Amino acid sequence: MIEFKNVSLTYPNGHQGLKNVNLKLNDGEFIVVVGLSGAGKSTLIRSINQLVKPTEGELIIDGENTLNFKEKQLRQLRTKIGMIFQNYNLVKRTSVLKNVLSGRLGHTGTIRSLLGLYPQEDVKLALESLDRVGIVEKAYIRADQLSGGQQQRVSIARALTQKPKVILADEPVASLDPPTSHIVMKDLKKINREDNITTLVNLHFIDMAMEYADRIIGMRAGEVVFDGPASSVTEKTFEEIYGRKIKEDDVLGGDEK
Amino acid sequence: MNLDKQYNIQRPDRTKYWMKFGFITFILATLYTIAFTTTDLSYSGSSLSAFDMFKRLFFDTFFDPVVHERIPQYIGYMFETLAIAFAGTMIGAILAIPIGFLAAKNMSGHFSSIGKGILNGIRAFPEILFAVIFVASVGMGPYAGVLAIGINSIGMLGKLYSEVIESIDMTVVEALKASGASRLQAMWFGVIPQVIPEFSSYAIYRFEIDVRASTVLGIVGAGGIGAPIILASNQRAWEQVGMMLIIIIVVVTIIDYLSAYIRKKIV
Repeated sequence: MIEFKNVSLTYPNGHQGLKNVNLKLNDGEFIVVVGLSGAGKSTLIRSINQLVKPTEGELIIDGENTLNFKEKQLRQLRTKIGMIFQNYNLVKRTSVLKNVLSGRLGHTGTIRSLLGLYPQEDVKLALESLDRVGIVEKAYIRADQLSGGQQQRVSIARALTQKPKVILADEPVASLDPPTSHIVMKDLKKINREDNITTLVNLHFIDMAMEYADRIIGMRAGEVVFDGPASSVTEKTFEEIYGRKIKEDDVLGGDEK
Repeated sequence: MNLDKQYNIQRPDRTKYWMKFGFITFILATLYTIAFTTTDLSYSGSSLSAFDMFKRLFFDTFFDPVVHERIPQYIGYMFETLAIAFAGTMIGAILAIPIGFLAAKNMSGHFSSIGKGILNGIRAFPEILFAVIFVASVGMGPYAGVLAIGINSIGMLGKLYSEVIESIDMTVVEALKASGASRLQAMWFGVIPQVIPEFSSYAIYRFEIDVRASTVLGIVGAGGIGAPIILASNQRAWEQVGMMLIIIIVVVTIIDYLSAYIRKKIV
């Protein structure tokens, strides 16, 4: 369980990313965070694995306040949290398999990993992860040869290879076309269900949020302004979160099912 | 339409511009005058006309029996020159990596100015000066040449490497750190694959430069083809000098061509 207790985050330039956030994220939930750009969605997600560090409050993961963690504990924590980025963040010039294997780096000794000596079961795990997102046949192809949707699935496989308890996805579909976006979201949802991985996804498309989420968290100006099950959400709720009328741009559409 | 309309726009004042222009012209003219009046440009006479010189260097050289006899020896010297350049570039290309990382702002933050300082210091001298220093400290011969070329290559390669590192996509490093990788792992897997092609391309380019630089090292006794060239020219044996120059031209041209070809394949 992840618990935010009065968490605030002020950036060095004085901008307030998070304002007094209180949240409890239960194990296995599929949570979608919505809000306009600049509302603090990314900051919220990134503070869980401390890519940005909250300046106040407590962030409790499995009973421990992670904000007091030292370098080593933090790395330990991060091995259990998979992350997916808008721009995939793959090493483009190496093979898909090597990219997926890099999810094991935190579990592999430094010397061993620098020599590229991953244990056999890690390689097997990496191939399994690729299989689960349906692109195992691309394992030995260079990452930059793949399409955007395929690259994003590689990055999901990389996260899976970590055997994470939590997956954070920061705008995972913002660079993809509608059909591909749905494939990626379905993969995330499937993994969430099968492995009971707590999943947090940033989105700004409201129809997608309603379709995939168990729970929706709405943010505006660094504050949590809505938190509730996806079933209780209507367009009206989004208008409240966004503080304006819903526009065409807020809807993705295009699910081919 | 009213053609008599008055526009109330003032021409900008150009006096300042012309004053600056006049001042700079004056300074340049003064420097020019000083340079010419204090430099001795008088022609001191030569036993050889430029035409004769050229003829002996690049034509007579093909018909001189002494030259014919010594061609294998010259080729041997050229090989030594290439070997010096290769060993020097190798040392430089490898040692430049840690200094390049140190000098890259996105890797070492504030410490990068230390790395940049080292590199600037190295690049302040030409390799011939390093050669003089190394000949004095490790003795005559190619060893001094290799060290001179190596150290000098670090200066340029380190700077180019650090620029390559500064231009990489740091999001990959962020992703690796987010998955619990250590700093060293994140660098090895996130940075190295991105920079290796550019690094090798620059190292090959530097080899080209080092081959040319190695040809003059012999002048100060640091090995290679420079020594016989200076010897022959002291004896006014221009036919021999000519053959060595021709060998250098041919080899350098081949290497430039190969290097361009390989570099195109890499990047």
